[in-house]
Amino acid sequence: MTAVAQHPTQDVDLEAVPPSPRTQDADAPPAPTPADRLVLRCSGLTKRFGERIAVDNVGFEIRAGETYGLLGPNGAGKTTTISMICGLLTRNGGEVLVEGRPIDPGATAAKAAIGYVPQDLAIYPDLTASENLAFFGGLYGLRGRPLGARVAELLEIIGLTDRAGDRTEQFSGGMKRRLNIAIGLLHRPRLLVLDEPTVGVDPQSRNAILASVQALGREGMAILYTTHYMEEAERLCDRVGIIDEGTIRAEGTRRELVGMVGHRDRVSLAANGDLASAAAAARRLAGVHEATAREGGIDLLVTNARQLLPQLLLDISTDGVSIRSVEVIEPDLEAVFLHLTGKALRD
Amino acid sequence: MRAALTIAARSLRQRVRDRSAILFAIVIPLGLAAAFSMLIPRGSTFHAEYVVHDGDGGPVAATLVDHVLGALVETGVADVTQVESETAAMIALDAGETSAAILIPAGFSDAIATGTATEVRIIGIPDSPLGIQIVKSVVGGFASEVGAIQLAVVTAADWRPGGSPPALDEGTVAAVRDVTDPIVVTDATMERRQATTASFYAAAMAIMFLFFATIYGPVGILAERRSGTLARLLAAPIRPASIVLGASLASFVLGLVSMTVLVIATTLLLGAEWGPPALVAPLVLSAVIAAMGISMLVCTLARTEDQASGWNAMVAISLAILGGAMIPLSQAPELLQQVGLLTPHAWFLRAVDSMAGASVQLADIVPSLLALLAFGVVAGSIGLARSRTYLVAA
Repeated sequence: MTAVAQHPTQDVDLEAVPPSPRTQDADAPPAPTPADRLVLRCSGLTKRFGERIAVDNVGFEIRAGETYGLLGPNGAGKTTTISMICGLLTRNGGEVLVEGRPIDPGATAAKAAIGYVPQDLAIYPDLTASENLAFFGGLYGLRGRPLGARVAELLEIIGLTDRAGDRTEQFSGGMKRRLNIAIGLLHRPRLLVLDEPTVGVDPQSRNAILASVQALGREGMAILYTTHYMEEAERLCDRVGIIDEGTIRAEGTRRELVGMVGHRDRVSLAANGDLASAAAAARRLAGVHEATAREGGIDLLVTNARQLLPQLLLDISTDGVSIRSVEVIEPDLEAVFLHLTGKALRD
Repeated sequence: MRAALTIAARSLRQRVRDRSAILFAIVIPLGLAAAFSMLIPRGSTFHAEYVVHDGDGGPVAATLVDHVLGALVETGVADVTQVESETAAMIALDAGETSAAILIPAGFSDAIATGTATEVRIIGIPDSPLGIQIVKSVVGGFASEVGAIQLAVVTAADWRPGGSPPALDEGTVAAVRDVTDPIVVTDATMERRQATTASFYAAAMAIMFLFFATIYGPVGILAERRSGTLARLLAAPIRPASIVLGASLASFVLGLVSMTVLVIATTLLLGAEWGPPALVAPLVLSAVIAAMGISMLVCTLARTEDQASGWNAMVAISLAILGGAMIPLSQAPELLQQVGLLTPHAWFLRAVDSMAGASVQLADIVPSLLALLAFGVVAGSIGLARSRTYLVAA
C-alpha cells in the first residue's frame, strides 16, 4: 500500500504481518501452519430474501496458504456468501466450517479464526487510528501490553505511526483503507476474508494492497477474496469461483477455467492494402483457424498467438500490406465469464 | 460482559467528543429550567386576592369566612377581603383586583341547619385559573364536611322528615370548625404545587431531555449499521447481544450522568428542592431505566439513525406534554390528568412533588418507582425482542 499524504511513495509491507493460528488465547505465539490444512469448508450455502434467492447452493474449500477468489459482477451474491461465512447472516441452508468448527451468528470461538475486511471502510471516524485498532483488538481478546504492542506493530506496518493519535476522519482515502485492512489482521487470523478491498482505491494503493495480499498468502494465510475485477482474480488467486446470480458457475485454477473456452487467441490487426489477399495468406499458415478481412484491418483466431505472430506478420507484409498496429487478446477469465453467463463481467 | 463494556466505553468516548450529547443532555435542559423558573413565579411566592360577601351572617357562614378562608390568609396563600354587597364584589372582579369572589347567600346557615339545598357561588376571572381552582377546592371541601356534620346532628336529635329542624347550636359550629380547619390545610396542596416551581421545571426538563441522552446508545447501533462497523462487530467473536448490551450501558451512563448533573446544578443554581438524596437516587435510576427502554424500542422500530432521532424527539416531546412536563397536570382537565399517567413523565413529576413535602418517605414514591420501572421493562423487552432484525449489517 502507499501512503498518500504523509508518506509519499512509501511501500507498506503487510507481509511483515505474521499470519498465524490463533485459538482462544490472543497472546499465544504463532504456530506453524501445515500447508495443506483445510481452513474453510462451506457447502450448500443458500440465502433467501423473501422470494428472491440471493445465494443458491454455494460451496467451496480453502486450504492454508491458498487464495480463493470469488469473481462475479455486482449483485452476484459475493457479499451475501461471505456474510454467511463470517457469521453476519443466518443462512437458509448449508454449512460453514472454519478449521472444523461450525460458523453461525452466535459462534464466538469459531469466529476468532476469521479476519474480516468489509468492502466499506468500517472504522470510526471520530476515533484515532490507535483507538480504532485498540477497540477491535479488545473485541478479539487482546488486552494490556500485548494489545498495545500489536497496535504499535500494525501502525508501523501500515505507515501510520506518526498519525496514530489523529482522528481517522482527517485521513486520506488510502490511509483509511490501510487501517481498514489492518484491523482485520489484528488478531492474526487463519482465514482472511476480503470483500472487494480495492473498490474506490487509487491505482497505486490498489497495487500495494494486491502485493500485500499475495504476501499474506505466501506466509500461509488462507484468503477468501471477492472481486469483480478479472485482473485481480487472475493476479492473486490460486483458484477462482465464478459466481453469478447466486450460483457458482465454475471453479478451478485460471488454466482450468480458461481451458473451458479453449486456448485460441484472438489477433486484431489494423492495416492498409489488399486485406482480402492478406487474410487468405494468413489462413494458409498452420495455427491460424480463422482470418477475416474487415474495413481497416484483419481479425484472426489462432493457436498460441505469441509464437505465431512473427511469421504471421511477415507473411502478410510481403503481400504489400502495411500493418499499423497489432492487438492480441488471449483467453481470460472475462472470456470465461462471458462463455458461462452470456454476459460481460461488468454488465 | 467484557465485550459489552468495551463497546460501551468506546461509545461513551465518542459521545464525549460529540458535543451534541452534552448539549442535549445537560446544557439545554438546564437552560430551559432556568428560563422557566425565572419567567414563572415560584410557588412559594404565589398569592391570590379574594373578596367574599357574606350575605348570611349566620354561624356557618362565619365559620367558612373566618376559619376556612381564614386559613388561606394564615398560610400566606391569599388575602381575603370582605365586601358589603355582591355588586362590590363584581366591581372588584371587573377591576382585576381579585382572583375570585365568593358569594354566600342569605339564609345559608339556616339552609344547612334544615338540610335545604343552598349554594356558595364562586366567580373568578379567566386570568387566574389556579386561584379559582384553589378556592373552589377549599370551599368544596368545607361543603362536603358540613354535610357530614349535618347528618351527625340530625342523627343525634333523632330527627325525622316532617319534624322541626334541629337548631345549629354552638357545639355543632365548634365541630364544623374542628373538622374543616385541617381539611383546608391538607387539601389545598398549595405548597406541593407551587412552592417548588424551580423544582418542578428542573425535574420536568430533566425527564424530558433524559430521552435525548438515552437515545445515543441504541441510535449508535443504527449509525454503525450505516457506516459498516456493525458488520465488523458481528464478525467479531462476541455474542450479538453484547452489542445491544454495550449500547444500553452507554445509554444508562449518559442518562445517569445527565440526571445527576441536572439535579446538582438545578439545586445549586436555581434553588430547586429535589428532596432527600436517598429518595432522589432510586427515582433517577428508575427514570433512566424507563427512558432507556423507550429509546431502545423507538430505535428498533426505525431503519435509520435520522429516523430514530426524529421519532425519539417526537415521542419525548409528546410524552412530556401529556405527562405534564410543560404545564402541570394539576392545571389540566381530569381526563388529561388520567391520560398523563400513561407517561413516565407524570409518574416522575408526581414523585418529585411528593418529595417536596416535609416528611416524605420511600413509600410515598414507590408507586412512581414501580411505574417507571414498568415502562422501562416493558418497552425495553419489546425492543430486545426486536433486536434480531435490528442487528443486521447493512
